[in-house]
Amino acid sequence: MLLEVRNLEKRYPGFTLDRVSFSLESGYIMGFIGRNGAGKSTTMKSMLNLVHADGGEVVIDGLRFSEQERACKQKIGYVSGAFECYQKSQLRAIAEVTKQFYDEWDDAAYRRYLQLFSLDERKKVSELSAGMRVKFAIALALSHHAKLLILDEPTSGLDPVSRNELLDVFQSVIEDGACSIFYSTHIISDLEKCADFITYIRNGKILASTDLDTFRAGYLLVSGEPERLDAAKPYLIGCKRHAFGFTGLIHAADADQFADCKTAPADLESIMVYTEQEDAHEEAAC
Amino acid sequence: MKKLLAKEFRLCMVPMVPLFYLFVLMLLIPSYPYSVAGFFCCNAVFYVFSQAQMNNDLTFTAMLPVSKADVVRGRVRFVVLIQLGMIVLLLAMLLVRRLLYPIANPAGCDPCLTLLFGVFVTFLVFNAIYLPAYYKTPHRAPKHFLMATIAVFAWIVVFEGAFIAAGAAQDAVPLFGWIETYLDCIPTFTGAWIAQIAAACVGASVYAVGTWIVCKCSIARFERVDL
Repeated sequence: MLLEVRNLEKRYPGFTLDRVSFSLESGYIMGFIGRNGAGKSTTMKSMLNLVHADGGEVVIDGLRFSEQERACKQKIGYVSGAFECYQKSQLRAIAEVTKQFYDEWDDAAYRRYLQLFSLDERKKVSELSAGMRVKFAIALALSHHAKLLILDEPTSGLDPVSRNELLDVFQSVIEDGACSIFYSTHIISDLEKCADFITYIRNGKILASTDLDTFRAGYLLVSGEPERLDAAKPYLIGCKRHAFGFTGLIHAADADQFADCKTAPADLESIMVYTEQEDAHEEAAC
Repeated sequence: MKKLLAKEFRLCMVPMVPLFYLFVLMLLIPSYPYSVAGFFCCNAVFYVFSQAQMNNDLTFTAMLPVSKADVVRGRVRFVVLIQLGMIVLLLAMLLVRRLLYPIANPAGCDPCLTLLFGVFVTFLVFNAIYLPAYYKTPHRAPKHFLMATIAVFAWIVVFEGAFIAAGAAQDAVPLFGWIETYLDCIPTFTGAWIAQIAAACVGASVYAVGTWIVCKCSIARFERVDL
Protein backbone atom coordinates (compact mmCIF):
# COMPACT_ATOMS: atom_id res chain seq x y z
CA MET A 1 0.00 0.00 0.00
CA LEU A 2 1.43 3.38 -0.97
CA LEU A 3 -0.67 5.53 1.32
CA GLU A 4 -2.43 4.56 4.51
CA VAL A 5 -4.25 7.09 6.64
CA ARG A 6 -5.47 5.67 9.92
CA ASN A 7 -7.81 7.42 12.36
CA LEU A 8 -6.48 10.89 11.61
CA GLU A 9 -7.95 13.41 14.05
CA LYS A 10 -7.87 17.16 14.33
CA ARG A 11 -10.06 19.16 16.63
CA TYR A 12 -10.87 22.83 16.14
CA PRO A 13 -13.57 24.75 17.95
CA GLY A 14 -16.64 23.98 15.85
CA PHE A 15 -15.01 21.38 13.61
CA THR A 16 -13.54 17.95 14.12
CA LEU A 17 -11.69 15.79 11.67
CA ASP A 18 -13.07 12.54 12.97
CA ARG A 19 -10.90 9.42 12.70
CA VAL A 20 -10.29 9.79 8.99
CA SER A 21 -9.07 6.55 7.45
CA PHE A 22 -8.46 5.46 3.88
CA SER A 23 -5.75 3.90 1.78
CA LEU A 24 -4.42 4.06 -1.75
CA GLU A 25 -2.35 1.61 -3.73
CA SER A 26 0.34 2.47 -6.24
CA GLY A 27 -0.71 3.36 -9.76
CA TYR A 28 -4.10 4.95 -9.12
CA ILE A 29 -5.78 8.31 -8.88
CA MET A 30 -8.00 8.92 -5.88
CA GLY A 31 -10.38 11.85 -5.94
CA PHE A 32 -11.10 13.52 -2.62
CA ILE A 33 -14.48 15.20 -2.60
CA GLY A 34 -16.58 17.11 -0.14
CA ARG A 35 -18.10 20.52 0.37
CA ASN A 36 -16.15 23.61 1.35
CA GLY A 37 -15.24 23.19 5.01
CA ALA A 38 -15.80 19.43 4.98
CA GLY A 39 -12.17 18.85 5.96
CA LYS A 40 -10.37 18.10 2.69
CA SER A 41 -7.53 20.60 3.10
CA THR A 42 -7.28 19.89 6.83
CA THR A 43 -6.93 16.19 6.05
CA MET A 44 -4.24 16.81 3.46
CA LYS A 45 -2.33 19.23 5.66
CA SER A 46 -2.62 16.90 8.65
CA MET A 47 -1.22 14.09 6.52
CA LEU A 48 1.82 16.29 5.82
CA ASN A 49 2.19 17.63 9.38
CA LEU A 50 1.50 21.15 8.12
CA VAL A 51 -1.40 20.96 10.51
CA HIS A 52 -0.64 19.35 13.85
CA ALA A 53 -2.92 16.31 14.05
CA ASP A 54 -4.42 15.40 17.42
CA GLY A 55 -4.27 11.71 16.64
CA GLY A 56 -3.90 9.07 14.00
CA GLU A 57 -1.18 7.80 11.77
CA VAL A 58 -0.05 8.29 8.19
CA VAL A 59 2.09 5.70 6.44
CA ILE A 60 3.73 6.50 3.10
CA ASP A 61 5.25 3.59 1.22
CA GLY A 62 5.75 1.70 4.46
CA LEU A 63 7.24 4.64 6.38
CA ARG A 64 5.44 6.23 9.29
CA PHE A 65 5.24 9.94 8.55
CA SER A 66 5.59 10.92 12.22
CA GLU A 67 8.86 9.01 12.50
CA GLN A 68 10.40 9.63 9.08
CA GLU A 69 9.05 12.97 7.97
CA ARG A 70 12.00 13.85 5.71
CA ALA A 71 12.05 10.47 3.93
CA CYS A 72 8.28 10.56 3.47
CA LYS A 73 8.38 14.08 2.02
CA GLN A 74 10.99 12.94 -0.51
CA LYS A 75 8.30 10.62 -1.85
CA ILE A 76 5.58 13.28 -1.92
CA GLY A 77 4.75 16.10 -4.29
CA TYR A 78 2.28 18.52 -2.72
CA VAL A 79 0.36 21.29 -4.42
CA SER A 80 -2.10 23.51 -2.64
CA GLY A 81 -3.65 25.65 -5.32
CA ALA A 82 -1.56 28.39 -6.90
CA PHE A 83 2.08 28.99 -5.95
CA GLU A 84 1.89 32.02 -3.66
CA CYS A 85 5.42 32.21 -2.26
CA TYR A 86 8.28 34.61 -3.01
CA GLN A 87 6.33 36.94 -5.29
CA LYS A 88 9.40 38.94 -6.23
CA SER A 89 11.63 35.97 -7.01
CA GLN A 90 12.18 34.47 -10.44
CA LEU A 91 10.85 30.98 -11.05
CA ARG A 92 14.42 29.93 -11.83
CA ALA A 93 15.63 30.94 -8.36
CA ILE A 94 12.79 29.08 -6.66
CA ALA A 95 13.35 25.95 -8.75
CA GLU A 96 17.10 26.03 -8.09
CA VAL A 97 16.50 26.16 -4.37
CA THR A 98 13.79 23.50 -4.48
CA LYS A 99 15.82 21.00 -6.48
CA GLN A 100 18.63 21.00 -3.91
CA PHE A 101 16.30 19.29 -1.47
CA TYR A 102 15.21 16.37 -3.62
CA ASP A 103 17.40 13.32 -4.13
CA GLU A 104 15.61 12.41 -7.33
CA TRP A 105 15.13 15.83 -8.89
CA ASP A 106 14.85 15.42 -12.67
CA ASP A 107 15.93 18.56 -14.49
CA ALA A 108 14.83 17.14 -17.85
CA ALA A 109 11.35 16.46 -16.51
CA TYR A 110 11.22 19.94 -15.01
CA ARG A 111 12.18 21.50 -18.37
CA ARG A 112 9.55 19.34 -20.07
CA TYR A 113 6.81 20.59 -17.76
CA LEU A 114 7.97 24.19 -18.14
CA GLN A 115 7.59 23.78 -21.87
CA LEU A 116 4.28 21.95 -21.62
CA PHE A 117 2.83 24.65 -19.37
CA SER A 118 4.48 27.51 -21.33
CA LEU A 119 6.22 28.79 -18.23
CA ASP A 120 9.05 31.30 -18.61
CA GLU A 121 11.64 30.73 -15.89
CA ARG A 122 12.84 34.31 -16.08
CA LYS A 123 9.49 35.62 -14.90
CA LYS A 124 8.79 36.51 -11.31
CA VAL A 125 5.96 34.80 -9.45
CA SER A 126 4.10 38.12 -9.25
CA GLU A 127 4.12 38.30 -13.05
CA LEU A 128 2.23 35.02 -13.44
CA SER A 129 -1.53 34.70 -13.70
CA ALA A 130 -3.33 32.56 -11.12
CA GLY A 131 -3.51 29.67 -13.58
CA MET A 132 0.19 29.89 -14.41
CA ARG A 133 1.03 29.87 -10.71
CA VAL A 134 -0.91 26.64 -10.35
CA LYS A 135 1.05 25.21 -13.27
CA PHE A 136 4.36 26.24 -11.72
CA ALA A 137 3.42 24.57 -8.44
CA ILE A 138 2.49 21.42 -10.35
CA ALA A 139 5.73 21.50 -12.37
CA LEU A 140 7.74 21.62 -9.14
CA ALA A 141 5.71 18.80 -7.60
CA LEU A 142 6.05 16.57 -10.67
CA SER A 143 9.79 17.01 -11.19
CA HIS A 144 11.28 14.89 -8.43
CA HIS A 145 9.71 11.52 -9.23
CA ALA A 146 7.35 11.67 -6.29
CA LYS A 147 5.62 8.39 -5.54
CA LEU A 148 2.59 10.15 -4.18
CA LEU A 149 1.16 13.41 -5.43
CA ILE A 150 -1.11 15.15 -2.95
CA LEU A 151 -2.93 17.87 -4.82
CA ASP A 152 -5.34 20.21 -3.10
CA GLU A 153 -7.58 21.66 -5.80
CA PRO A 154 -4.83 21.75 -8.41
CA THR A 155 -7.18 22.57 -11.27
CA SER A 156 -8.82 25.59 -9.67
CA GLY A 157 -8.12 28.67 -11.78
CA LEU A 158 -7.22 26.67 -14.87
CA ASP A 159 -9.07 27.00 -18.16
CA PRO A 160 -10.74 23.85 -19.56
CA VAL A 161 -7.93 23.25 -22.07
CA SER A 162 -5.25 23.44 -19.37
CA ARG A 163 -7.34 21.22 -17.11
CA ASN A 164 -7.59 18.63 -19.82
CA GLU A 165 -3.83 18.82 -20.43
CA LEU A 166 -3.27 18.38 -16.75
CA LEU A 167 -5.52 15.34 -16.54
CA ASP A 168 -3.48 13.83 -19.38
CA VAL A 169 -0.32 14.57 -17.40
CA PHE A 170 -1.84 12.86 -14.35
CA GLN A 171 -2.65 9.79 -16.41
CA SER A 172 0.87 9.65 -17.82
CA VAL A 173 2.39 10.06 -14.36
CA ILE A 174 0.57 7.01 -12.95
CA GLU A 175 1.00 4.99 -16.14
CA ASP A 176 3.97 2.93 -14.96
CA GLY A 177 2.19 2.04 -11.73
CA ALA A 178 4.89 3.52 -9.49
CA CYS A 179 3.04 6.70 -8.58
CA SER A 180 -0.38 7.56 -7.23
CA ILE A 181 -2.32 10.78 -7.08
CA PHE A 182 -4.57 11.85 -4.25
CA TYR A 183 -6.37 14.97 -5.21
CA SER A 184 -9.24 17.13 -4.13
CA THR A 185 -11.34 19.18 -6.46
CA HIS A 186 -14.73 20.74 -6.78
CA ILE A 187 -14.72 20.09 -10.51
CA ILE A 188 -16.37 16.72 -10.25
CA SER A 189 -16.37 16.18 -14.01
CA ASP A 190 -12.55 15.99 -13.86
CA LEU A 191 -12.80 13.11 -11.43
CA GLU A 192 -15.31 11.30 -13.62
CA LYS A 193 -12.64 11.42 -16.33
CA CYS A 194 -9.61 10.27 -14.41
CA ALA A 195 -10.25 9.00 -10.88
CA ASP A 196 -10.05 5.31 -10.06
CA PHE A 197 -11.09 5.75 -6.45
CA ILE A 198 -13.23 8.24 -4.58
CA THR A 199 -12.98 9.30 -0.97
CA TYR A 200 -15.90 11.38 0.15
CA ILE A 201 -15.60 13.46 3.30
CA ARG A 202 -18.55 15.11 4.96
CA ASN A 203 -18.42 17.23 8.12
CA GLY A 204 -15.00 15.84 8.96
CA LYS A 205 -16.01 12.19 8.58
CA ILE A 206 -15.26 9.84 5.73
CA LEU A 207 -18.56 8.86 4.19
CA ALA A 208 -17.10 6.52 1.60
CA SER A 209 -13.74 5.48 0.26
CA THR A 210 -13.98 3.03 -2.58
CA ASP A 211 -13.45 2.63 -6.30
CA LEU A 212 -15.42 4.98 -8.52
CA ASP A 213 -17.66 2.34 -10.11
CA THR A 214 -18.63 0.78 -6.79
CA PHE A 215 -19.27 4.22 -5.37
CA ARG A 216 -21.55 5.18 -8.24
CA ALA A 217 -23.25 1.79 -8.29
CA GLY A 218 -24.32 2.32 -4.70
CA TYR A 219 -26.75 5.04 -5.71
CA LEU A 220 -29.52 5.63 -8.23
CA LEU A 221 -31.29 8.73 -9.43
CA VAL A 222 -35.05 8.38 -9.25
CA SER A 223 -37.78 10.53 -10.82
CA GLY A 224 -41.41 10.33 -9.85
CA GLU A 225 -44.73 12.14 -9.99
CA PRO A 226 -45.73 14.56 -7.22
CA GLU A 227 -48.18 12.20 -5.53
CA ARG A 228 -45.42 9.58 -5.19
CA LEU A 229 -43.21 11.88 -3.12
CA ASP A 230 -44.63 11.21 0.35
CA ALA A 231 -44.15 7.47 0.01
CA ALA A 232 -40.67 8.00 -1.43
CA LYS A 233 -39.41 10.33 1.28
CA PRO A 234 -38.13 7.71 3.74
CA TYR A 235 -35.84 6.33 1.04
CA LEU A 236 -34.66 9.59 -0.49
CA ILE A 237 -31.18 10.75 0.42
CA GLY A 238 -31.96 14.11 -1.15
CA CYS A 239 -34.41 15.38 -3.69
CA LYS A 240 -35.59 18.32 -5.72
CA ARG A 241 -39.19 19.18 -6.60
CA HIS A 242 -40.02 20.37 -10.07
CA ALA A 243 -43.11 20.96 -12.21
CA PHE A 244 -43.46 17.27 -13.11
CA GLY A 245 -42.82 15.82 -9.69
CA PHE A 246 -39.46 15.18 -8.09
CA THR A 247 -35.99 13.85 -8.78
CA GLY A 248 -33.96 12.39 -5.98
CA LEU A 249 -31.12 10.14 -4.96
CA ILE A 250 -31.63 6.74 -3.36
CA HIS A 251 -29.40 3.91 -2.26
CA ALA A 252 -29.29 1.30 -5.02
CA ALA A 253 -30.39 -1.27 -2.45
CA ASP A 254 -33.75 0.55 -2.19
CA ALA A 255 -34.42 0.33 -5.93
CA ASP A 256 -37.22 -2.22 -5.36
CA GLN A 257 -39.27 0.48 -3.65
CA PHE A 258 -39.27 2.54 -6.85
CA ALA A 259 -40.40 0.02 -9.45
CA ASP A 260 -43.10 2.49 -10.60
CA CYS A 261 -40.62 5.35 -11.02
CA LYS A 262 -37.94 6.12 -13.54
CA THR A 263 -34.45 5.31 -12.30
CA ALA A 264 -31.06 6.12 -13.81
CA PRO A 265 -27.43 5.60 -12.81
CA ALA A 266 -26.20 8.37 -10.54
CA ASP A 267 -23.25 10.49 -11.53
CA LEU A 268 -20.69 11.70 -9.01
CA GLU A 269 -21.94 15.25 -8.90
CA SER A 270 -25.55 14.20 -8.28
CA ILE A 271 -24.47 11.88 -5.50
CA MET A 272 -22.60 14.70 -3.83
CA VAL A 273 -25.28 17.34 -4.34
CA TYR A 274 -28.13 15.17 -3.06
CA THR A 275 -26.12 13.74 -0.20
CA GLU A 276 -25.23 17.21 1.03
CA GLN A 277 -28.98 17.99 0.98
CA GLU A 278 -29.63 15.11 3.33
CA ASP A 279 -29.93 17.16 6.49
CA ALA A 280 -31.97 19.94 4.97
CA HIS A 281 -34.22 18.29 2.43
CA GLU A 282 -37.19 17.82 4.76
CA GLU A 283 -37.58 21.54 5.26
CA ALA A 284 -36.12 22.93 2.07
CA ALA A 285 -36.14 21.07 -1.22
CA CYS A 286 -38.73 18.38 -0.51
CA MET B 1 21.02 22.01 7.02
CA LYS B 2 23.38 23.54 4.44
CA LYS B 3 20.55 23.39 1.93
CA LEU B 4 18.24 25.25 4.29
CA LEU B 5 20.86 27.90 4.89
CA ALA B 6 21.40 28.24 1.15
CA LYS B 7 17.62 28.64 0.79
CA GLU B 8 17.64 31.35 3.46
CA PHE B 9 20.38 33.28 1.68
CA ARG B 10 18.79 32.85 -1.74
CA LEU B 11 15.14 33.53 -0.91
CA CYS B 12 14.96 35.19 2.51
CA MET B 13 17.91 37.57 2.66
CA VAL B 14 16.73 41.19 2.57
CA PRO B 15 18.72 44.33 1.70
CA MET B 16 17.97 45.61 5.20
CA VAL B 17 20.57 43.21 6.62
CA PRO B 18 23.64 44.85 4.98
CA LEU B 19 21.96 48.23 5.44
CA PHE B 20 21.60 47.74 9.19
CA TYR B 21 25.14 46.42 9.34
CA LEU B 22 26.16 49.98 8.49
CA PHE B 23 25.08 51.03 11.97
CA VAL B 24 28.37 49.54 13.10
CA LEU B 25 29.78 52.88 11.95
CA MET B 26 28.21 54.36 15.10
CA LEU B 27 31.39 53.22 16.81
CA LEU B 28 33.08 56.16 15.15
CA ILE B 29 30.86 58.57 17.09
CA PRO B 30 33.01 59.82 19.97
CA SER B 31 30.33 59.50 22.62
CA TYR B 32 27.43 57.08 22.22
CA PRO B 33 25.90 53.94 23.82
CA TYR B 34 27.54 51.63 21.28
CA SER B 35 25.60 48.48 22.20
CA VAL B 36 22.62 50.07 20.41
CA ALA B 37 24.33 48.83 17.23
CA GLY B 38 23.26 45.35 18.34
CA PHE B 39 19.64 46.44 18.36
CA PHE B 40 19.87 47.55 14.73
CA CYS B 41 21.03 44.08 13.83
CA CYS B 42 17.96 42.69 15.64
CA ASN B 43 15.92 45.07 13.53
CA ALA B 44 17.43 43.51 10.40
CA VAL B 45 16.48 40.07 11.71
CA PHE B 46 12.91 41.27 12.15
CA TYR B 47 12.87 42.42 8.52
CA VAL B 48 14.01 38.96 7.45
CA PHE B 49 11.08 37.42 9.33
CA SER B 50 8.59 40.00 8.04
CA GLN B 51 9.64 39.53 4.44
CA ALA B 52 9.57 35.75 4.84
CA GLN B 53 6.11 35.96 6.36
CA MET B 54 4.88 37.99 3.38
CA ASN B 55 6.39 35.39 1.06
CA ASN B 56 4.68 32.44 2.78
CA ASP B 57 8.14 31.12 3.52
CA LEU B 58 7.05 28.94 6.44
CA THR B 59 4.62 26.99 4.28
CA PHE B 60 7.07 26.69 1.38
CA THR B 61 9.84 25.43 3.64
CA ALA B 62 7.60 23.08 5.58
CA MET B 63 6.52 21.49 2.29
CA LEU B 64 10.13 20.71 1.36
CA PRO B 65 11.54 17.33 2.42
CA VAL B 66 12.60 18.61 5.82
CA SER B 67 11.01 18.14 9.22
CA LYS B 68 9.05 20.90 10.88
CA ALA B 69 11.89 21.14 13.39
CA ASP B 70 14.36 21.70 10.53
CA VAL B 71 12.31 24.70 9.40
CA VAL B 72 13.03 26.36 12.74
CA ARG B 73 16.65 25.17 12.94
CA GLY B 74 17.40 26.56 9.48
CA ARG B 75 16.03 29.99 10.30
CA VAL B 76 17.65 30.16 13.75
CA ARG B 77 21.03 29.33 12.20
CA PHE B 78 20.47 32.02 9.61
CA VAL B 79 19.71 34.50 12.40
CA VAL B 80 22.86 33.41 14.23
CA LEU B 81 24.91 33.95 11.08
CA ILE B 82 23.47 37.46 10.66
CA GLN B 83 24.23 38.24 14.29
CA LEU B 84 27.74 36.80 14.11
CA GLY B 85 28.28 38.90 10.99
CA MET B 86 27.53 41.94 13.13
CA ILE B 87 29.98 40.74 15.78
CA VAL B 88 32.72 40.41 13.16
CA LEU B 89 31.99 43.91 11.89
CA LEU B 90 32.00 45.25 15.45
CA LEU B 91 35.41 43.68 16.01
CA ALA B 92 36.70 45.32 12.86
CA MET B 93 35.28 48.69 13.89
CA LEU B 94 36.75 48.34 17.39
CA LEU B 95 40.12 47.96 15.73
CA VAL B 96 39.53 50.94 13.45
CA ARG B 97 38.37 53.04 16.38
CA ARG B 98 41.42 52.01 18.42
CA LEU B 99 43.70 53.06 15.57
CA LEU B 100 41.87 56.32 14.84
CA TYR B 101 41.22 57.72 18.28
CA PRO B 102 41.52 55.47 21.37
CA ILE B 103 39.53 57.63 23.76
CA ALA B 104 37.01 56.72 26.45
CA ASN B 105 33.24 56.91 25.95
CA PRO B 106 31.38 58.92 28.63
CA ALA B 107 27.98 57.70 27.30
CA GLY B 108 28.50 54.07 28.31
CA CYS B 109 30.80 51.16 27.62
CA ASP B 110 34.07 52.16 25.97
CA PRO B 111 34.72 50.89 22.43
CA CYS B 112 36.50 47.78 23.64
CA LEU B 113 36.02 44.02 23.69
CA THR B 114 33.70 44.28 26.72
CA LEU B 115 31.20 45.80 24.32
CA LEU B 116 30.91 42.40 22.63
CA PHE B 117 29.58 40.96 25.90
CA GLY B 118 26.83 43.57 25.82
CA VAL B 119 25.99 42.92 22.18
CA PHE B 120 25.96 39.12 22.60
CA VAL B 121 23.49 39.49 25.47
CA THR B 122 21.48 42.00 23.42
CA PHE B 123 21.14 39.36 20.71
CA LEU B 124 20.20 36.69 23.22
CA VAL B 125 17.52 38.88 24.83
CA PHE B 126 16.06 39.54 21.39
CA ASN B 127 16.21 35.88 20.36
CA ALA B 128 14.76 34.67 23.65
CA ILE B 129 11.69 36.85 23.33
CA TYR B 130 11.13 37.09 19.60
CA LEU B 131 11.84 33.58 18.30
CA PRO B 132 9.67 31.42 20.61
CA ALA B 133 6.85 33.94 20.32
CA TYR B 134 7.13 34.01 16.53
CA TYR B 135 7.10 30.24 16.25
CA LYS B 136 3.96 30.08 18.37
CA THR B 137 1.96 32.75 16.54
CA PRO B 138 3.82 33.77 13.35
CA HIS B 139 1.06 36.13 12.25
CA ARG B 140 1.70 38.35 15.28
CA ALA B 141 5.30 39.08 14.35
CA PRO B 142 5.10 42.89 14.83
CA LYS B 143 3.74 42.48 18.37
CA HIS B 144 6.52 40.04 19.24
CA PHE B 145 9.08 42.46 17.81
CA LEU B 146 7.70 45.27 19.97
CA MET B 147 8.03 43.12 23.10
CA ALA B 148 11.55 42.08 22.13
CA THR B 149 12.51 45.71 21.42
CA ILE B 150 11.34 46.82 24.86
CA ALA B 151 13.37 44.04 26.49
CA VAL B 152 16.44 44.81 24.37
CA PHE B 153 16.34 48.51 25.29
CA ALA B 154 15.87 47.65 28.95
CA TRP B 155 19.05 45.54 28.72
CA ILE B 156 20.94 48.29 26.87
CA VAL B 157 19.98 50.81 29.58
CA VAL B 158 21.21 48.41 32.28
CA PHE B 159 24.44 47.58 30.42
CA GLU B 160 25.42 51.09 29.39
CA GLY B 161 24.10 52.55 32.66
CA ALA B 162 26.35 50.21 34.62
CA PHE B 163 29.43 51.68 32.93
CA ILE B 164 28.25 55.25 33.38
CA ALA B 165 27.67 54.49 37.07
CA ALA B 166 31.06 52.76 37.33
CA GLY B 167 32.74 55.80 35.83
CA ALA B 168 31.00 58.17 38.23
CA ALA B 169 31.56 56.13 41.40
CA GLN B 170 34.84 54.36 40.70
CA ASP B 171 36.61 56.07 43.57
CA ALA B 172 33.89 55.27 46.08
CA VAL B 173 33.18 51.64 45.14
CA PRO B 174 36.20 49.33 44.69
CA LEU B 175 34.32 47.03 42.28
CA PHE B 176 33.49 50.00 40.02
CA GLY B 177 37.12 50.98 40.14
CA TRP B 178 38.09 47.47 38.96
CA ILE B 179 35.49 47.61 36.17
CA GLU B 180 36.79 50.95 34.97
CA THR B 181 40.40 49.77 35.08
CA TYR B 182 39.94 46.38 33.45
CA LEU B 183 36.64 46.24 31.53
CA ASP B 184 35.66 49.79 30.58
CA CYS B 185 38.82 51.00 28.91
CA ILE B 186 40.82 50.84 25.71
CA PRO B 187 43.12 48.01 26.85
CA THR B 188 46.77 48.91 27.13
CA PHE B 189 48.01 46.23 29.52
CA THR B 190 47.73 42.43 29.69
CA GLY B 191 45.31 42.37 32.64
CA ALA B 192 42.77 44.49 30.78
CA TRP B 193 43.15 42.41 27.62
CA ILE B 194 42.54 39.20 29.59
CA ALA B 195 39.54 40.63 31.44
CA GLN B 196 37.94 41.95 28.26
CA ILE B 197 38.58 38.80 26.22
CA ALA B 198 37.09 36.81 29.10
CA ALA B 199 34.03 39.11 29.12
CA ALA B 200 33.56 38.68 25.37
CA CYS B 201 33.93 34.90 25.72
CA VAL B 202 31.40 34.77 28.56
CA GLY B 203 29.02 36.80 26.38
CA ALA B 204 29.57 34.43 23.45
CA SER B 205 29.00 31.37 25.65
CA VAL B 206 25.84 32.75 27.21
CA TYR B 207 24.63 33.64 23.71
CA ALA B 208 25.45 30.19 22.32
CA VAL B 209 23.82 28.23 25.15
CA GLY B 210 20.87 30.61 25.39
CA THR B 211 20.17 30.56 21.67
CA TRP B 212 20.40 26.76 21.63
CA ILE B 213 17.72 26.62 24.36
CA VAL B 214 15.66 29.23 22.50
CA CYS B 215 15.87 27.09 19.36
CA LYS B 216 14.64 24.00 21.25
CA CYS B 217 11.78 25.97 22.72
CA SER B 218 10.86 27.43 19.30
CA ILE B 219 10.86 23.96 17.73
CA ALA B 220 8.52 22.64 20.40
CA ARG B 221 6.14 25.53 19.83
CA PHE B 222 6.25 25.34 16.04
CA GLU B 223 5.36 21.64 16.10
CA ARG B 224 1.89 22.63 17.31
CA VAL B 225 1.37 25.42 14.80
CA ASP B 226 -1.13 24.82 12.00
CA LEU B 227 0.08 26.24 8.70
